[in-house]
Amino acid sequence: MQKVLRKRIVRDLKENFVRYLALGAVIVLCMYIIISLIGTADTIIIGSEKTAVRNQLEDGQFTLFMPLTNVEKDKLCESGITLEEQFYLDYEMEDESTVRVFKNRKQINLVELVEGRAPESDSEIVLERRYADEHALQPGNVIKIGGKDYEVVGIGCSPDYEAPYKDFSDSSVNSLQFGTAFVTVEAYEELLKEGKSVKAEEYVYAYHLNGKLTHKELKDKLNDLKVDAEEIEDAYFQEYWKEQTEDKNELEEGIEKLKDGSTELYDALNDLADIQTGIVPFDEGIANVKDGAGELADGIEELQNETDKFLEEHFDLEISNLTLFLEAEDNPRIGAAAEDQMINKYGGIIAGAIVLVLFAYVISVFVVYGIEKENSTIGALYALGVKRNELILHYLCLPVAVTLIAGVIGSLIGFGSIGESTITGNCYAYFSIPQMETIYEEYLLVYGVVLPPVLSAVVNFLVIRKKLNKPALQMLRNEQKNGNMSQIKLEKMGFIATFRIRQMLREARTSLTVVGGMFISLLILMLGLNCYVMCEHISKSNKADTKFEYLYTYKYPEETVPEGGYEAFSKSTKKENQGYNLEVTILGITKENPFFDVELTDSKNEVVISSAMAEKFEISEGEVLVVEDEEAETHYAFTVKDIAQYSTSFYVFMDIDHMREMFGESDTYYNQVFADRKLDIESGRLYAITTKKDIEKAADVFINEMTPMITMMTIFPILIFVVVMYLMMKVMIDRCAFHISMVKVFGYRPREIKKLYLNGNFYVIAIGAAICIPLAKKCMDIMYPMMVANVGCAMKLAFPWQMYAIIYAAVLLLYFIINEILLGRLKRVNLAEALKNRE
Amino acid sequence: MYLEVKDMKKSYGEGGSYIQVLKGITTGVEKGEMCVIEGTSGSGKSTFLNCIGGLDLLDFGSIKVDGKEIVGMKPDKLSDYRRENLGFIFQFYNLIPNLTVKENIQVCEYLSKSPLDMDELLETLGLTEHKNKFPSQLSGGQQQRCAIARALIKNPKLLLCDEPTGALDSKTSRDILALLEKVNEKYGTTMLIVTHNNSIKNMVHKVIRIKDGQISKEYHNEVRVPAMELEDL
Repeated sequence: MQKVLRKRIVRDLKENFVRYLALGAVIVLCMYIIISLIGTADTIIIGSEKTAVRNQLEDGQFTLFMPLTNVEKDKLCESGITLEEQFYLDYEMEDESTVRVFKNRKQINLVELVEGRAPESDSEIVLERRYADEHALQPGNVIKIGGKDYEVVGIGCSPDYEAPYKDFSDSSVNSLQFGTAFVTVEAYEELLKEGKSVKAEEYVYAYHLNGKLTHKELKDKLNDLKVDAEEIEDAYFQEYWKEQTEDKNELEEGIEKLKDGSTELYDALNDLADIQTGIVPFDEGIANVKDGAGELADGIEELQNETDKFLEEHFDLEISNLTLFLEAEDNPRIGAAAEDQMINKYGGIIAGAIVLVLFAYVISVFVVYGIEKENSTIGALYALGVKRNELILHYLCLPVAVTLIAGVIGSLIGFGSIGESTITGNCYAYFSIPQMETIYEEYLLVYGVVLPPVLSAVVNFLVIRKKLNKPALQMLRNEQKNGNMSQIKLEKMGFIATFRIRQMLREARTSLTVVGGMFISLLILMLGLNCYVMCEHISKSNKADTKFEYLYTYKYPEETVPEGGYEAFSKSTKKENQGYNLEVTILGITKENPFFDVELTDSKNEVVISSAMAEKFEISEGEVLVVEDEEAETHYAFTVKDIAQYSTSFYVFMDIDHMREMFGESDTYYNQVFADRKLDIESGRLYAITTKKDIEKAADVFINEMTPMITMMTIFPILIFVVVMYLMMKVMIDRCAFHISMVKVFGYRPREIKKLYLNGNFYVIAIGAAICIPLAKKCMDIMYPMMVANVGCAMKLAFPWQMYAIIYAAVLLLYFIINEILLGRLKRVNLAEALKNRE
Repeated sequence: MYLEVKDMKKSYGEGGSYIQVLKGITTGVEKGEMCVIEGTSGSGKSTFLNCIGGLDLLDFGSIKVDGKEIVGMKPDKLSDYRRENLGFIFQFYNLIPNLTVKENIQVCEYLSKSPLDMDELLETLGLTEHKNKFPSQLSGGQQQRCAIARALIKNPKLLLCDEPTGALDSKTSRDILALLEKVNEKYGTTMLIVTHNNSIKNMVHKVIRIKDGQISKEYHNEVRVPAMELEDL
């Protein structure tokens, strides 16, 4: 039986070749994109793990005030951990970009060369891949750093700068502006000696715990490492330290002077007492004064001793050497590519399954149409003893075959070089990762080849079984049941409206499929548009909201704020967002600061937050905001009084005096200065200089990087929507071909037939779009922040109303185009169709 | 002559499957006449009807309806011709299943600038009480009456009926034929009725018998038997 029926499958395929070809082509495209997306994600995720192992990725890193002494280092290493210095110096290049120079590593965070070789002489350098790409630098080129020429001998990547953020608080990678470089130890020492770096050397150590300590235990050990402030040679530090300890020194000096004076007095009186005048009362008086002076000196000495004890207790000359402790998993520069791909992977798996179910359902509409056409034949076959399951199997063959073939082709292209290279290309163009070997995971083969036919079989089985579940006689008579909905009374309406409503009700399943296709397409489109809107918003708002020209972050602030600058006190904290710890800065500013449109509160507990923060963490006025100071292992809770427009950073604004008091700093303390012009500040005092230009350039990075993805997410859903709408409207025509032919016989013209049979779809599309557009937007507004939870940027996803209008107009335009195309199909409906005998 | 057909030739297929269905038919029907085209299965009577209805194209010959040549008309003009002049009744009614009786009739009412009165027509055809029913809720006779109402609503000058009683029992067939007779008398509609039922020829004005694509016999009934008195339907 199946053998005979199988011949029909080929005939059916030939008869509806264009339909299945179009559908197959979209499934191929869909599988290609999904397989590429997931395959790339796997390649990057697994590749990153391998790269991390291969290049000895750190378990974490810490930054110190002073380099560890050999004794301290040995003591730490005795516990079984591995440490390696990863000190660095930042240099400003001719194009104003920054190159961070390290010594070449030997144990941890090894540089993987993608081209060339490691530096061997003092005039050779290896550049980080992304920076080299953006500046068109290759081995053999020469670059000038700190006034000295270096020959580029290699291009490479280090796993600790996979996302080469200049600062941990950066929200985007901008390799035009920042990159890393590696030189020999001797070359590094020479650079350090020259002192031309834009800021002081950073004492960073990377570590491997080797299973001997926990991060917490290491951190405790590091916290115990005190450094005697007196030993720190940095002149700026000493100046800073002197300011901090001025009161103590004055007290000590005063007591010292008092002690000296009292001792001198005693000595002088002692000498005087030695001279006996013979005048008894005078001599006795002198002796008494001498004794008194002796007691005074003793008392003063006692005072000095007690004061010293007190000062030792309350003025600790030793400070903790640790300034930053960062575990690898909290380091935004590490594992960023894999994290980014994780979203693609799971998003791709889910999106692929949804799209496949849609297409399986579209195919089922064709199959159902076929069954309806063959009702009488099926009834006859039932009467002759053919079983329902045999027919189900027969009708499943074509959908399964089409989806299987399309799945295989799509997967082959996806697995092929065209597929993965397109998407990995985006990843390589953003993250500093070495070329990774493409990984073919077995489940992906199952996903690409097995899932499409399986989903198609399941969906079609459910639909076909219901359709074939009728008695033989009912099928023989071709009795079509009109559902309750089709029999609603429409007496008061005009003929055209009535006809269209009846037609819509009759084609409800097909119309719903169109609306379903529209919704899925809109979801994908909204994903692309949300991405675009967010990037666009970042690009525009970051530029508009950055009113300062320079932001100086101090390592050792001066006693007085440089003229033209506005001091601020910034404190880095963390706030968790859907499993990711994002950096939030508490920024104490003065009321006079002209760069932030913030109305500071008089309360220490009430703060103003930046709009970026409100959007990202979905915090409103009046809510309680909790941030964590990881170093101090303390949480701070504030009530949000107001939200200020500032999209560049996650800021918690408060009055600088309140902040100084809260964090136990002096009345004049500050560590940042904002200015509208370049200030004359010695580079040795600074951690970082951020310019408005830097922020503006970084603001455009997102939109530049995301443009190919956004384009794909615009074209792909349009294609899905067009194919689904075209095929479904065509199937509507095919199902009504007999009646269309008949009304043609009556004298209807094609445009009038279109008016009756197709134009009713306008309302389905118009109403469907009116519901689906905001619904898809709402769904994506909920899903999208989860997809980019790890990205530290503002999350403004609101569209202007014009955008909705454009999408709506585009949907209707596509409908009208397809409607016009189908006019040709209506014209081709043969008059002879109506003359066929039908029962 | 309202309908004039000259040397009508029509063939299908090529090579081995070539078949000449109409081999040069020449005939005519006067305005207001009821005419039966009879013949055995495969004689070419339906093809003859389809060609007159502009549904099929002639290989050769001429068809004039009310003096207008329809052979060689472009599809749009043919649509206009059918719209303005013709009504069709099919053997299997061909009603649109998801439209009510009234709505099915409105399909053709919409095409006419001066349609007949709907309520009057429903009354005439005994469909008033069924006007809001769907075809599946009607009997075969009621469905055919609905199909007749649909064909008549636009007040066509020429009614083409392809085996109008072919799917009906004899009593219902008689009712339907009586109805056609009544319509012919009331509206003066010219009717071409294709049938292989021998009895029907007795109720019409003219009979054309086609055999092997040619007219084998053509005559006018001197005495017409009223439809209700027809036997062996």
